[in-house]
Amino acid sequence: MTFLIRQTLIYAVPLMIVALAGVFAERSGIINLALEGIMIFGAFIGVLFVNIVQEAGGFAGAKADGDWVALQGFALLAMLVAAAAGAVFSLLLSFASVNLKADQTIGGTALNLMAPALVLFFIRIIVNQNVLDMAMGDAPPWFMLRKTTLGFSRTDDLGFLGETFINQVYPATYVCILLFIVLSVILYKTRFGLRLRSCGENPQAADSLGINVYRMRYAGTTISGALAGMGGFVYALTTANCSANGDVAGFGFLALAVMIFGNWKPLNIAGAALLFGLFKCVAASYTSIDINGDGVCLLGEIGISVHLYRMMPYVITLVVLAFTSKKSRAPKAEGIPYDKGQR
Amino acid sequence: MKKLTAMLLAMAMALSLAACNSNPGGASSEPPANSQSGDADPANTPGGGESSGPVSDPNAIDDNPSTADGKYEIAMITDVGDLKDKSFNEGTWNGVKLYAANNGKTYKYYRPANGNEATDDDRYNAYVAAIEAGAKVIVAPGFLQAGAMRKAAAEHPEVNFVFIDGFPLTERDSQDDPGDVLANVAGIAFQEEQCGYLAGYAVVKEGFTKLGFSGGGGGDNPACCRYGYGYVQGANAAAAEMGVNVEMRYSWAYGSNYSPSPDLQSMMQGWYSGGTEIVFACGGGMFSSISAAAAANDGYVVGVDVDQSSQSDTVITSAMKGLEQSVNFALDKQFTGNWADISGTGTSLGAKDDAVGLPTATWSMTKFTVAEYETLLAGIKDGSVSVDADYANLEQSYSNLTLSVES
Repeated sequence: MTFLIRQTLIYAVPLMIVALAGVFAERSGIINLALEGIMIFGAFIGVLFVNIVQEAGGFAGAKADGDWVALQGFALLAMLVAAAAGAVFSLLLSFASVNLKADQTIGGTALNLMAPALVLFFIRIIVNQNVLDMAMGDAPPWFMLRKTTLGFSRTDDLGFLGETFINQVYPATYVCILLFIVLSVILYKTRFGLRLRSCGENPQAADSLGINVYRMRYAGTTISGALAGMGGFVYALTTANCSANGDVAGFGFLALAVMIFGNWKPLNIAGAALLFGLFKCVAASYTSIDINGDGVCLLGEIGISVHLYRMMPYVITLVVLAFTSKKSRAPKAEGIPYDKGQR
Repeated sequence: MKKLTAMLLAMAMALSLAACNSNPGGASSEPPANSQSGDADPANTPGGGESSGPVSDPNAIDDNPSTADGKYEIAMITDVGDLKDKSFNEGTWNGVKLYAANNGKTYKYYRPANGNEATDDDRYNAYVAAIEAGAKVIVAPGFLQAGAMRKAAAEHPEVNFVFIDGFPLTERDSQDDPGDVLANVAGIAFQEEQCGYLAGYAVVKEGFTKLGFSGGGGGDNPACCRYGYGYVQGANAAAAEMGVNVEMRYSWAYGSNYSPSPDLQSMMQGWYSGGTEIVFACGGGMFSSISAAAAANDGYVVGVDVDQSSQSDTVITSAMKGLEQSVNFALDKQFTGNWADISGTGTSLGAKDDAVGLPTATWSMTKFTVAEYETLLAGIKDGSVSVDADYANLEQSYSNLTLSVES
């Protein structure tokens, strides 16, 4: 059970934060199809930052002393760098769709096509292979919180909650969850959030009340880019041993699906991401999941084909989408370039 | 606003370029200008080592040398995975570079188009490109090369082919009408079951009782199959000597293209948190997913093909095969005029040729010592310890080992 929760969170959190990134853009009226591309770019810059800092000997002392607070600071710094990279990358989309009034779908697709190629190009220049790894060691000893890093011994039992939420977790996961909550509150409970949402529903009305629609849309897409970049790095850190290879296994597109599936609402998105994460985790490790702790891995022993488990996350997504899509309602003005003259 | 954005974008571009250049591990060094011409000149002699004796560090040799006339005598066609996979391709490539640097040959690698999804046509095109660029001998690791190599070798009898992890090829891929054996292909294979055996024996002697094996190639790669089967036999033999029972989980899942994936990492997380103590990561880039899971759970990993202990603290030992030695062996035959020795035959290198083993220089095991290892290795050499190579026998009943094969 502990294992299941831990792994589900690892899959769900990047999905959740990137889906929220999509919400910010779409609520301001810009369709951000480029989530996948921005994730790839953010992951690359984040990993590159870690690589360069390690190569220069930064935080080596903290690693040797087991100073996990400093190491978490390092992780946080890398997340910020990835977020900044994502934000800058997303400016391409904002510029094309706000200033040039270009078709947002095409702009986003262009970024999706460009990011993997660009990233692979740089990785090949830098390390002469297709994968950029950390400069030394594995991700967990650097960035993961474990019993031993907190001063407990390997055999201590921290109880169910402790084992699940303190042992073997990346604090980056919790940072993302916290950020998710804070940003959701901002979107719904502040003046800025209200204005942002109004620009996605009826920008003409918003403009007539003195809101600068262009600026709001820039803000929405930039926040979106920052979140997606950060999500990309968190994905690379937690599921790919902190390496970048110009691919995030379609998580950006999945995040788009999760966003639609969650009806552009943060709470529903969190639920959808957890559901998907759960099935993804079951698919990959069903032979090791022991739900009630009796040492029997039931799912592995009932003899259902492995392919069925691997299909499950996607089938479930389709099924839920089929039931929920009737009620789903996209922001009204999304995808339409704002034209002042059109009142 | 437009100007500001344009400026920001330009800055982002400039910054990312600057970041690349400042990376000390980068391949940013300019290839030294080569004013001389002619095939025999070494394209790049590293660090001015022209007179300083043999070069032994492959990383000091340039990966992308250029010659004035664009001709390269030794070509390597990569297998699936990256050139620098820290495993199979890299080991072969290091052999090529070392031989070339120490013998003044020109060399170049070719990566078939479409990366891991390369087809026989893509590989064939890489062969043609290599031959057009003046290759006299082509080194190609990986049994997947067979189809393309057969075609290229039949069309270009003047070029020799070293088929690492391979076998002799006939003119046609047909049981009934194979035609003649191609004399310009030399198959070099390894007795991986022997180093797998050594690794399995070592880890059980070291005190591990819950083992795992995660292999690449989906169970179709003969080399990985031999590794795995040897590993099982070695573990069983050690367990029988110690009078203990060991368990082993054995899987080919998520390994079909030898690359890391989130799914593989999840599955390995499951294994390690379910009690597995050590996993044999038998497939190039898969290593990274497995070592991440091991590091998270304080578990251990057995590396493959080359000594992987520098990559992760979780590596306790590696089942190595002498890729460098074998490349050196074959290229030496080529350039000293002894190609006939290996022409059209399959050469299988094993313990007796010192081509398989565990890394003794980075030994980290405490209960199983280097001396015990040497004894075991000697036993394999003189035949007193026999290791079965026929991996079709994998699923038998072992005296002291419970094998659970997962799909």
